[in-house]
Amino acid sequence: MRTPSQRPSNVKAPPRRLDAGRPNKKLSQGRFAAMLLTPTGVILLALVLVPILFLIVTSFTDFNQASLFTGTFKFKGFAQYVVALKDIEFWKALLRTFIFTAALVIGSLLIGMAVAQMMTKLGTVMRYIVTFVLIFAWAMPNVASSVVWKWLFQPGYGIVNWMLTKLHVFGNMLNVAWSNNTTLAFLCIWMLVIWQAVPYIAITLYAATTQLDQSCLEAAQIDGAGHIRTYWQIVVPLIKPSIMVIAMLSIIWDFNVFNQIWLVSQGGPNGTTSTIGVFTYKKAFVNFDIAQGAAISVITVIILMALTGVYVRNLLKSGEDL
Amino acid sequence: MKKKILASAAVSLSVAMLLGACGGASGSKSVEDAKDQTLTVWAMQGDYTNETLDAINKEFTKRTGAKVKVQTQQWNNITTKVTTALSTATPPDVIDMGNTQVMGFASSGGLMDLTSHASELHGGSKWLSGLEEPATVDGKLYGVPAFGAARAVIYSKKIWKDAGIEKAPTTWDEFTADLDTIATKHASDPDFIPFYLPGQYWYSALQFVWDAGGDLAKKDGDTWKGTTSSEKSIEGLKAWKDFQNKYSNKASQTATEVDPVQDQFLAQGKAAAYLGNSSAIPQIKKIDSSITDDDLGTFALPGRLGKNQPSLVAGSDWAVAVKSQHQDLAVKWLKIASSEEIQQKWVFGHDGWLPNSVQGLDKAMKSSDFKQVNTGFFEAAKISKSTPASPQWATIEGDKSINELVEGIATGNTSVENAAKTFDQHVEQVLNKK
Amino acid sequence: MSETMNVVSRAHVKSGAAMTGAHRRFGWRRCGTNVIALIFCVVWIFPVYWMTVTAFKPRNEIMTTTPAFIPKHWSLVNFYSAIMQTSFLQNLENSVIVTFSAIIISVFLAFLACAALTLYRFRGRRVIMVLILAMQMLPGTALLIPQFIVFNQMGLLNRYIGLILAYIAMVLPFSIWNMRGFFLAIPVDIFESARVEGASEWQILRKITFPLVAPGVVSTSVFAFITAWNDYLTAYTFMRDQAKYTLPVWLSSFTTPAGTDFGGQMAASVLFSLPVVVFFMIVQRNIAKGSTAGAVK
Repeated sequence: MRTPSQRPSNVKAPPRRLDAGRPNKKLSQGRFAAMLLTPTGVILLALVLVPILFLIVTSFTDFNQASLFTGTFKFKGFAQYVVALKDIEFWKALLRTFIFTAALVIGSLLIGMAVAQMMTKLGTVMRYIVTFVLIFAWAMPNVASSVVWKWLFQPGYGIVNWMLTKLHVFGNMLNVAWSNNTTLAFLCIWMLVIWQAVPYIAITLYAATTQLDQSCLEAAQIDGAGHIRTYWQIVVPLIKPSIMVIAMLSIIWDFNVFNQIWLVSQGGPNGTTSTIGVFTYKKAFVNFDIAQGAAISVITVIILMALTGVYVRNLLKSGEDL
Repeated sequence: MKKKILASAAVSLSVAMLLGACGGASGSKSVEDAKDQTLTVWAMQGDYTNETLDAINKEFTKRTGAKVKVQTQQWNNITTKVTTALSTATPPDVIDMGNTQVMGFASSGGLMDLTSHASELHGGSKWLSGLEEPATVDGKLYGVPAFGAARAVIYSKKIWKDAGIEKAPTTWDEFTADLDTIATKHASDPDFIPFYLPGQYWYSALQFVWDAGGDLAKKDGDTWKGTTSSEKSIEGLKAWKDFQNKYSNKASQTATEVDPVQDQFLAQGKAAAYLGNSSAIPQIKKIDSSITDDDLGTFALPGRLGKNQPSLVAGSDWAVAVKSQHQDLAVKWLKIASSEEIQQKWVFGHDGWLPNSVQGLDKAMKSSDFKQVNTGFFEAAKISKSTPASPQWATIEGDKSINELVEGIATGNTSVENAAKTFDQHVEQVLNKK
Repeated sequence: MSETMNVVSRAHVKSGAAMTGAHRRFGWRRCGTNVIALIFCVVWIFPVYWMTVTAFKPRNEIMTTTPAFIPKHWSLVNFYSAIMQTSFLQNLENSVIVTFSAIIISVFLAFLACAALTLYRFRGRRVIMVLILAMQMLPGTALLIPQFIVFNQMGLLNRYIGLILAYIAMVLPFSIWNMRGFFLAIPVDIFESARVEGASEWQILRKITFPLVAPGVVSTSVFAFITAWNDYLTAYTFMRDQAKYTLPVWLSSFTTPAGTDFGGQMAASVLFSLPVVVFFMIVQRNIAKGSTAGAVK
């Protein structure tokens, strides 16, 4: 949790670095800092930057299954990029990823905020129970929760199918295969991700809310503001820094959701639940069109970097000191 | 050439960095003792049983003195697994592959050319063409048939008898009339399914296409032409759609044969029959242990024009990795696995698969071990075909476009003609790649 | 049960009579919130409950058309087969070795890097921060392709070290970014006085900085742990032998073309999740404390 960095954006951080006056001391400190950074630098250079360079090189070749076996490949210029950009499935996957990410971020934030607010209204015992439940959902490794989900929604024997059938609203749902229907598959995966995303958000926001100045809230109550209005007009602005950080983290995490999609629907039916990650993985590691996968990755990285650039600029503008 | 230098420069650059970073973490490989070699065999989950593999290994160790390490692999994402394994410097030596997978791996250079050992491996028998053909690329042999399987109708004798049907049907008309009788008898039970047929079960649709005289694709000189939208193929697909829509339930239209597991419907008495291969029999008995071989019957799916429908021979081949460090041993192992003794006594006798050769098939049907319940599978195997012989075919199965084709048809979401046309375009694009 | 109900309702009547109108409304509201909370808990815990119950059912009670919410017979057969008939222990060992090596190395590196990036001012610092932030945004599959090819060339596939390195690359940028916040919360004069007293930079780092950011170390470890412990994709792609798989890959292997052994899989899920849940229960207070400390600063 990186919440500590969430200082109210309008407060400028005081100068806090140890640039002490004496020049010789400064030199040794600079050297010391360099020493501390070296191992990380080497690791990141070797394991992230060099592979990314390698990825870029690969994207200009025709590297495929045969290349893996025999080691031979040819350079193809921008051919892979042309293919990727012309591929309607690629654009669909990208669009799908943005929509799905938005649905996940908004859904988990709203439910998380509601749960956090609910917790502030509960007695100690009930609050402990809620926390306990949240931690269970949060701690489940997502591979485990994905297979549990498969079981909950299993055609023929799934308990959810059974309960929905008993509701007599949707008709006989017993044999419905959720993963074979685009909408249902997305719904199913959405619930799965939300189920595990809400706990972190709720617990963090609850913590943030309890730290607020109670007198402020009481004053609002006395002024006759309703609960919902108090929440949106007073509480939300006060915990906004926390919400912003959580939103940013959620975007990163939800954009990269892979296991849940892969294990629940494998990106199917007909690739209609493939987000860009699943789409790329299938290209590179199912069809072993590795160069194509590389080109798609490079395009995705460029898009993400552009977005990150905007984010960083906003951070700097709002006074955050990197 | 320049490109390779650049790439290898990138590799060595990162090598140097990694080594610098983790201080000689990559240890040196110990040299294997020549006398104490171990052959690594990748077997697929559910293919040969452990007992059969043990029998082969015992014989192998007796003859060569080398040991065998068997690793059982899951089918899930197996192409990924095998590709990554074959690309490493120390791949498994012998690999069990679905018959349609061999061609892809062979043509991309991952498998050892077995042509020079062909006659020795055949041992005088004629392998099932549905297993040998896909293992042959440009006249070179890359795989040895391990076993075959063909799909036949599996039915519950009790349900058929209750509907007053004593004999298995032999013609299409008898077959559909029987299903009608059963459907009428269970008309009051909305959950009952006369013939369970999942909408994504493309193997079954393919049988109908072949039965109508159509096919998925045809090779014309050097290029592949999609023929799914040909008149005959369309006729077959329409017959399949009508059959599926009439005798299976609505939920099955979007289902695959594994999700939900189709065996369960028959095992629980919810369906009177379905199309499956011989491995389904033990599965049914596993789901409901009170069911015995006598409760089940099988027959080849009758064709609409007289003969049985051609069935897609499924099965597996054994292949050797091109980078295997024990190729001679691997060939010896293959020879034992495809020998008549192993095929009859174990592959057929113990595991219940079809033996890998025509001679083996005849011999098995005459043997005293032959179980009546398997008749349908053996009958079905007599008329068999295989999927288009292109190394790229695996992509069609892998990207599920063929599931898309038949599911669209079964649900009626797309017209048969449109679905077939879209599929043809995709097939031509994929099969003609390079 | 009914006794409890009585007590509760009696309490309500009593308090209701004594309270003013406004207070009574508050009491009802509180009761309503409790009901909502209870419903929420039931819904949210249900998947966990169903997983556990399924795991304890004997084979013939799992696949039933009318589900039983409580097993008729409790059975350990699923646990037995999940542990004894698979490579569970081997895979558990792999997971533990790989995950913990990766966490220890990356959290240690992140600690050093954060110290450098927050406590000292030097040229290029901002560029490095932006680079690290950018790395954190990289999609996982983008790194997987080149890492696979490079690691293959170097013979690092199917070995612990390859997976450990991949996990370090995966978690290190986020670890730095995460821990940085805790460093920023340290009051700066502490260092000055320590320096005046003649402490060396190493001593300051070990004796002053480390204890102060300890909650950050815990919180960062938890996130690194979740990422590495959960990883399925890299382990599946990099590790070839069943004996080298980690638990996520092991867990997904219960699904075969012939169907899924749900009993075994649920038992396996329980085994896989249990240590993590316990670990979370222990450290959650730390995480919450750490995050709130910074949030109100």
